[in-house]
Amino acid sequence: MNLKEWIKTLTFYELLLGMKATMSHLLNYKPITLQYPHEKKQLPSNYRGMLALLRYDDGTEKCVGCDLCEAACPSRVIRVISAEVPEEPAKRYSKEYYMDMTRCLFCGLCVDACPVDALGMTQEYEWAVYDKRQLQLNKQQLLAIGDRNFPVREKRLEYQHPNVAYFNVGFKGIPQKDAE
Amino acid sequence: METGIRLGLTLAQIGAVMVAVLLTVALLTLLERKVLGWMQDRMGPMEVGPYGILQPVADGLKLFFKEDIIPAGANKFMFSMAPILSLVPALIGFAVIPFGPDWTIDVGGVDFKPFVITDINIGVLYILAFASIGAYGIILGGWSSNSKYSLLGGLRSAAQLISYELNVGLSIVGVLLLSSSLSLVTITNAQAGGFWNWYFFAWGSFPQAIAFMVFMISSIAETNRTPFDLPEAESELVAGFFTEYSGMRFAFFFLAEYGNMILVSCVATVLFFGGWHAPLEILQGPEWMHGITGIIWFAGKVAFFLFLFFWIRATLPRLRYDQLMRFGWKVLLPIALGNIVVTAIVEYMFPT
Ligand code: SF4
Ligand code: SF4
Repeated sequence: MNLKEWIKTLTFYELLLGMKATMSHLLNYKPITLQYPHEKKQLPSNYRGMLALLRYDDGTEKCVGCDLCEAACPSRVIRVISAEVPEEPAKRYSKEYYMDMTRCLFCGLCVDACPVDALGMTQEYEWAVYDKRQLQLNKQQLLAIGDRNFPVREKRLEYQHPNVAYFNVGFKGIPQKDAE
Repeated sequence: METGIRLGLTLAQIGAVMVAVLLTVALLTLLERKVLGWMQDRMGPMEVGPYGILQPVADGLKLFFKEDIIPAGANKFMFSMAPILSLVPALIGFAVIPFGPDWTIDVGGVDFKPFVITDINIGVLYILAFASIGAYGIILGGWSSNSKYSLLGGLRSAAQLISYELNVGLSIVGVLLLSSSLSLVTITNAQAGGFWNWYFFAWGSFPQAIAFMVFMISSIAETNRTPFDLPEAESELVAGFFTEYSGMRFAFFFLAEYGNMILVSCVATVLFFGGWHAPLEILQGPEWMHGITGIIWFAGKVAFFLFLFFWIRATLPRLRYDQLMRFGWKVLLPIALGNIVVTAIVEYMFPT
């Protein structure tokens, strides 16, 4: 060590340099804290939050029970029990639809996989619960999440494009969601 | 009758000092988090009360109502004794700290010193002795918890406290040579007149600035504060010696830590920075006001040292264990010994 380094050591130069840094932060106090429950962050529009099932503008469910989301899901969140639409044997719908959100990793693969865009990701993230079982969602709950997050609904498919319209023609027989 | 008056006065004085110390501890728990937050561009506690000022109350309530768990296999007696053993020495040291002028009032035939609980002539030794007993609380707490983290924390603190207590003791010797007294009241009185008479500067004799540096570093190590908080090292030992403690027992350890911080700041103020004396006579005001200005100056100096504790904690990372030991024995100890030798020689050649 040469003289200069000795002097630096003896006068605590490095320590004082560090203490100057902290002091300057104290004097120019600009907190970056976001006081979460009182202030909330502006989420990006493609934020991948809680999953939801969607409806068409006339209130019918989009899901055709094809099971592709179940196949795409890496964490086996989704369970679809598909059934024929009563009185319209050519058409199918999801009789039961369960999501175990405790396992979901919000990758969005199910949304990509769905051929009729029946799944959507909302901006909801405050889903902490006291009981894990409250995160086992059924179809009605998922539809309700979709209803409250996507007020503007898509038109029914048959009015959009003649090629895909075929899949949805026979949906009139689906039991409607009971009025809440 | 005389004994009764003396007892009443002393008890009242002890009560007042304890309340002041405990209130300061409560304030410190909040201020520490606030200051640390401010220095790290955060806000600190903000939820309880406006700007979080009621946080100490909430913390106190929480700790008070929390379940008091004694781990299976713990030595119950030692486990309950340890927090008390570390809290009592931290509070008892305040008995000899003079926080105001050395007045003697005659109350019903009893000599009463309003600004020091008891002026014993071995005040410094008394504080050092009780500081060592505080170490037992930590070691026993770590040993009796029947947990490997606590045991490691306790062992570390044993080694650390022994090494650094030595340096605290030796760094004080310079001051004792200059003042030729062990009584904190006498030491304070010897520093009257202006800041150049404080033993930190010690005009006309050997300044104790180096001794003060050694004392400050060692006392940070003795109070287990960052950068010497190896006994509780969160990132390595969960919480060190009080890993297994909860509820009121945990609160006792917490109080002890902050009590020790205040005590050490008080000792540093009294020994090196003139206690209640203002830096210039003129700032002290007239004679009858010394009681008020003395306490204000004393509190100001102590507050500065407490801030220094926070400041250092916000800045410096924790030392490695071998560095800690090497620094204590190979650097601080020789410096402290050298300081004693030089001070003794200067004091012998140029007696004040
Ligand atoms: S977001 Fe990913 S993990 Fe979650 S349900 Fe969809 S595919 Fe499964
Ligand atoms: S949500 Fe989409 S992919 Fe999943 S079953 Fe329904 S239609 Fe198929």
